[in-house]
Amino acid sequence: MSRVVVNVEDLTKDFRTGLGLRSKRVLRGVSFAVRDGEIFGFVGPNGAGKTTTLKILMGLIRASSGRASVLGHDVRETEFRRHVGFLPEAPYFYDYLTGREFLDFYARVCGVPRARRRARIETLLEWVGLTAAGAARLRTYSKGMLQRVGIAQALVHDPQVVFLDEPMSGLDPIGRKEIRDLIRRLQVEGKTVFMNTHILSDVEMLCDRVAIIVQGEIRFEGSAHALLADDERDAEVVLTGVSPALAEILSDRFGDGMRGVGERVEIGVPQKRVGELLAEALATGAQVVSVAPRRASLESIFLSAVGRGGRR
Amino acid sequence: MRSLDRIVAIASNTLREAIRSRVLYTLLFFALALIGTGVLLSTLSYVERERILQDVAFAAIRVFSVAIAVFVGIGLIHKEVDRRTIFTILSKPIARSEFLLGKYCGLLATLWLQIAVMGLGFALVSLAAGAPLGPAHAAALAGIAAEVAVVVAIALFFSAFTSPMLASLFTAGLWLVGHLTRDLRSLGAQSGVAGVQHVTEWIYRGLPDLDAFDLTLQAAHQLPIATSDLVLPLAYGLGWVALALVAASWIFERRDFR
Repeated sequence: MSRVVVNVEDLTKDFRTGLGLRSKRVLRGVSFAVRDGEIFGFVGPNGAGKTTTLKILMGLIRASSGRASVLGHDVRETEFRRHVGFLPEAPYFYDYLTGREFLDFYARVCGVPRARRRARIETLLEWVGLTAAGAARLRTYSKGMLQRVGIAQALVHDPQVVFLDEPMSGLDPIGRKEIRDLIRRLQVEGKTVFMNTHILSDVEMLCDRVAIIVQGEIRFEGSAHALLADDERDAEVVLTGVSPALAEILSDRFGDGMRGVGERVEIGVPQKRVGELLAEALATGAQVVSVAPRRASLESIFLSAVGRGGRR
Repeated sequence: MRSLDRIVAIASNTLREAIRSRVLYTLLFFALALIGTGVLLSTLSYVERERILQDVAFAAIRVFSVAIAVFVGIGLIHKEVDRRTIFTILSKPIARSEFLLGKYCGLLATLWLQIAVMGLGFALVSLAAGAPLGPAHAAALAGIAAEVAVVVAIALFFSAFTSPMLASLFTAGLWLVGHLTRDLRSLGAQSGVAGVQHVTEWIYRGLPDLDAFDLTLQAAHQLPIATSDLVLPLAYGLGWVALALVAASWIFERRDFR
């Protein structure tokens, strides 16, 4: 088993409210581990505590209790951050800087030697597809371009671990694909990626392992495959050439999930009954148009995770 | 050495932001215009025209420099937090105190650059009006630069833990009081009441004496300025700057950035 690079143990965080007289607990004993080289999805609805956890890992917020370490260092230390990159949610950058100046500034803050800086910046600009825009000020960049230059700043010092907070948030489909491709490339280059998201499709396409956080508590931690390959998920079967006799049989057996009448019907069935449905349809001369898993919503998976009664 | 590199990186970025901001150019234009109006004001008098011109110019340089120091200084940290640019910076291998010191040095460099430009305007106007120029005038400008250094540090201290509105009120208030502490101590001494003397003395010691940096009177009257007249106030200012920055860092280190 690969080594643990991010380790969070029993983390709690209380925020003071109402002139500091009251406190609100936003993290309740959060624990999880991220292993070397994996893309880890930290999943949860808005307000679940994802960004608070990430900010504790980045040293922007202090935990009320518990322990958090990255690459074996307590997150309150500073020097180890030369091995860590971070892209915050909906980032705003110094818009009076050009793309190159922006990356040069972060490279200087990270202590990248002058001799290596220029080459590193050009490599990154090419990597994120912004070479031509490198001389333009950031205020002229689109949201997708800002997100990409944001990823470039997170990588400017060639970190081992990259933390991304909602990296696909607010992007159009093309922008989302570009960021997904960049994240995959990070993994190919051997980096560990920790990604906050509330978008299940991102998790499905990218993550090796996930943790689900709901109301400040971890409800699930494990492989993304285990989360998504749920036995109880439905499949969507589309048939044509359905005879009235078959339609009646299907209505009797699968009526709850059946839509459409006549030639073409769509039927939602539990995956374990797909074989039974197809056998019946083919035996009566119907044609199968498609059989596809019906994607569970994040909400239903959350509810399922909550319903399992704690961590597994 | 790395720490110095990081501080310089933050400072130069702060300076670059100021240089690319139109607001500061506008303020600088008004300050130069006010220095120029000293020529007009001096024509209203039959005596000491050169002195009136230089008094107005020094006052313009001081007021504009302090105003920029207060209003830009209190926004230095708040703007970074509000725009969330601080998240990416503090996630890098940089200590919060280094970030704070970098921001301070960047704004101070901006202000000193502006004082230099205003000083140049002052010199040109003085030469055009035939007013005397000497080392005392340079010393008076250095005094304003030192006062501004203290004011920026105080603004940064207040902005480390309170809102921009309160920070500007506290800083401007402390600047006003800082110009009164010396008079307050004199009043206390003249009162002849031991208790009042004691209180005014402690107020004087506990708050910065910003009149210590005012060498404009010596400059206007062409009085000789000894080295100690300049070095002692500078050392005194350095002490206040160090105190304000250490206190600001201590608070800033403990702050959560939500």
